[in-house]
Amino acid sequence: MNQNKLLPSLVCGFGAAVLTTVPGIKNFACCLIVPTAAVISINLDHKINRSEFPIKAGQAILFGVMTGVFAALFSTFFDLLTTYLTRTNDFIEALPQTEDFIKQYKLDSLLSETMIIFKQMSKDINSYGFSLFYAFAMLVSNLCIDVIFGMIGGITGMSFFNKRKTKI
Amino acid sequence: MPDKYFYESGILKALYTDRKEMHSISLNNYLTLGLKKHQIKLFSFRLILFVALSCWCIGFLIGSIFPGSAYSIIALPFLKKFYGIICHQRIEKSFFYNGHYFMVCARCTGIYTGALITSFISLFTLHKLSESIKILSIAAIPMIIDVISTTTGIYSYNKFLALLTGIFFGSAVFAYILAAIENNFVDNSL
Repeated sequence: MNQNKLLPSLVCGFGAAVLTTVPGIKNFACCLIVPTAAVISINLDHKINRSEFPIKAGQAILFGVMTGVFAALFSTFFDLLTTYLTRTNDFIEALPQTEDFIKQYKLDSLLSETMIIFKQMSKDINSYGFSLFYAFAMLVSNLCIDVIFGMIGGITGMSFFNKRKTKI
Repeated sequence: MPDKYFYESGILKALYTDRKEMHSISLNNYLTLGLKKHQIKLFSFRLILFVALSCWCIGFLIGSIFPGSAYSIIALPFLKKFYGIICHQRIEKSFFYNGHYFMVCARCTGIYTGALITSFISLFTLHKLSESIKILSIAAIPMIIDVISTTTGIYSYNKFLALLTGIFFGSAVFAYILAAIENNFVDNSL
């Protein structure tokens, strides 16, 4: 994949990450942001690189994955930046509530260890605005979700554009 | 003409007929086996999708399904963040059961439930699906109308309406994506 091939995914991934950070837009679009970005990236690639139709399945999947990866990277960055500036996030805010729930149960060693990690993470974020564990967890979850939804968008886009082209 | 003689005397004729039958039998067997192989492949693929979707749905329902489990409670903040990537998670728009809110809103619950129902049905109907944009557009219309109506204040947000329109849309989206994958990947790999 050359630079021109990466550009549509990069632009659309960035756009999707920005839109997922804006709270108002999330109320309308929900899970449609990343798939739509993948569809647009396929369309952009065909406009920029004048690629030929029909779009191959592998190529569409690759565009979806790349858009998802870029969206995940940028949204993790935005989330970490917000956490750094505010020194808190919804994860930290929900922690005391989780602790109250947990106190009702007898914890085995695994759960106790997990709670210790959670508390350390909360302490790190409150004092430095950054926690390596939180950053890793966010990156992994963003990658998982955005890549899956990006692939869905890629497949949908491929099917849509191929059908439209055959009709023309 | 020895060949003609043999053919007419029945020796070659018998041999020829046998070969023809053998050929047709093997062709039938091949086709049946091929069809079975294709169906097994389709079934396996759809089963994997069904299992994956079930896991996904259990994930956002975990607090309500296992309300007394310490493991589920400790996983809740992570899962909330995980599903928060794809849903606004506003509690006034989410279902509440067994002391916990679902981790996605009513509409998203509907979309994923619709997809799960369709994936379950697709396990028993192993015929080829077609990618119809028309059906997808028709299925999206009730949801779009509901979103526009609640946003502009024509009527107030109703969780069950959101769930219903979500189920309708989720079913159509799943069928469309399944058709697109099967027509481009599963069929080509045979």
